[in-house]
Amino acid sequence: MKKVEPITWLFVLLSLPLILLLTLPLLKMTLEPSWAMLLETICDKEVLAAMGRSIGTALSASFFAFIFGTPLAYLLARKNIFGKKIIEGIIDLPIMIPHPVVGIAILSLAGRNHPIGRFLSEVGIQIMGTKTGIILVLLFVGLPFYINTVKAGFESIPVRLEKASRTLGAGAFSTFVRVTFPLTWRHMILGIIMCTARAISEFGAVVIVAYHPMTAPVMIYERFTAYGLKYSQPIAVWLILISFILFIFLRLFSKSVNNYG
Amino acid sequence: MIKLDKISLSFPNFSLDNICLDIEKKDFFALIGPTGSGKSLLLEAMTGLIPVNKGKIFLKNKDITDLPVEKRNIALVYQDFALFPHLNVTQNILYGISYHKIPKKTAQDRFAMLINTLGLEKITKRSIQNLSGGEKQRISLARSLILNPSVLLLDEPLSALDPIFHEDAKELLKKIHKDLEITTIMVSHNFPDVLYLANRGAIIKDGRIMQKGKIEDIFEKPNSNFTAKFVGMKNIFPFSENNSKLFIKDNNKIEIMADHTPGANHKNIGIRPEDISFIDKRGNTFENAFNGIIDKISSSGIYLNIAAISQGIKFDIIWPRSYIRNYELKIGKKIAFGFPSEVVHTF
Repeated sequence: MKKVEPITWLFVLLSLPLILLLTLPLLKMTLEPSWAMLLETICDKEVLAAMGRSIGTALSASFFAFIFGTPLAYLLARKNIFGKKIIEGIIDLPIMIPHPVVGIAILSLAGRNHPIGRFLSEVGIQIMGTKTGIILVLLFVGLPFYINTVKAGFESIPVRLEKASRTLGAGAFSTFVRVTFPLTWRHMILGIIMCTARAISEFGAVVIVAYHPMTAPVMIYERFTAYGLKYSQPIAVWLILISFILFIFLRLFSKSVNNYG
Repeated sequence: MIKLDKISLSFPNFSLDNICLDIEKKDFFALIGPTGSGKSLLLEAMTGLIPVNKGKIFLKNKDITDLPVEKRNIALVYQDFALFPHLNVTQNILYGISYHKIPKKTAQDRFAMLINTLGLEKITKRSIQNLSGGEKQRISLARSLILNPSVLLLDEPLSALDPIFHEDAKELLKKIHKDLEITTIMVSHNFPDVLYLANRGAIIKDGRIMQKGKIEDIFEKPNSNFTAKFVGMKNIFPFSENNSKLFIKDNNKIEIMADHTPGANHKNIGIRPEDISFIDKRGNTFENAFNGIIDKISSSGIYLNIAAISQGIKFDIIWPRSYIRNYELKIGKKIAFGFPSEVVHTF
């Protein structure tokens, strides 16, 4: 049998409390509601709508991250654009700042007191208390996860492949479609999964911008404050399950990305 | 064929300055210089991947300075081959076909000819992962050559290959150039490769052309200390002239006879180490003959690098390994050596 180094035992010992910290509370909460309660919860139309809304808005935010974030990630990975470090810092900001602050910031911009808010209102776009508002804050908090993942993907592709494509007659756009995209789409999927997973769990920013229509995290909070732990737990269990499935996907994809090339 | 007229390129820490080159049709031209001298940058400038700050680039007498990369039809084969990892061998080779309006039949014929010439018949359906360096290089060449480019640029084509593929690849490049008669520009820092493949070339140092012309001339008649050392001319001695006789400076005892009168601006004598012969008892004679003592012997594979001291001057010599056995060479042994006047180069 292969001998295990003492340092490996030490590292296992130090890792154990962390794994317990992550698993015990979640396990306790997941196992507490009865099957009947879980089934009843998932059959509740309001819960289903909130779940659907959470998933739908999170996927929409990821879609916008893909459309607008991919070009930005490419520029940051490939070009020496002016103020690159500052832009990278700004992109990372949503990871650091408290999320209710994000909600307040967006609300102050989208309110009637701000020209942008007035303009949006005039063209029929409402932020406060709408799905649009939810998608906007989810995009805000999820964007760093998408951009950083995809940027790393672009950086992992040797620039010489793109140069070789150009010398073979392909234009810049054609090179992106035929070389860059096929080699980075896995990173984009990975970014979408990370962005979606982050967005599904968002509470702080969403609750400021749109208490209604309710997303799953807001509903958990609402049920907890109104009816107590027993009624909020089953929704939380379903949310954990969905997030868990997403992260399993994430790990599988990250494995295939690492194995590529 | 391709002409660079006073090309300048500048980056924060490096610049190419006033580069003038005129590469003829069917030339095998070598850009030679140490790492970081700007050779590869110059290749990318020719393709248009890097825009030039000043000067003009002409291809077949047409100004292509502002022409986009994809319109130039100048092929570039990178040192690491830059094959597309998501495409198989055939897909890699055919990548550029759709951009060049090549009729299907012509493309098929060229494909068949190239995979035959380059020995790729058995791997056309394979993924490019796990292929050898030699195979990857041949695929990269086929991918460029199928487009019938005006000029083929090779960026250090032999340096990334294992030694076992090196000689084969060298032969292949020679054959491709001969058979397809394609104007080829190769970047290299290996002078023996250049000497074998190229007919003309230029030496670059710190972004400037130091010398250009026929490869044999660069090899045998370098015009500067840098070029002389770079092409392996190890015996470089400043000289003084006295009554039309050349003496090694700082010594003034050793007279060197050359078959020509040095130019007015010439300050150095250069003798290639392989041009110095062993003088045995049978007494082969040279205009320049010296007695000396072996100071150092080191081996570089099949050759010996010998340092021999004569009247305080060190001569670097390259002789075959068999000399050790034939002439019982060892450190401290007294020997005689010499060279004819025609191998004495002044610059």
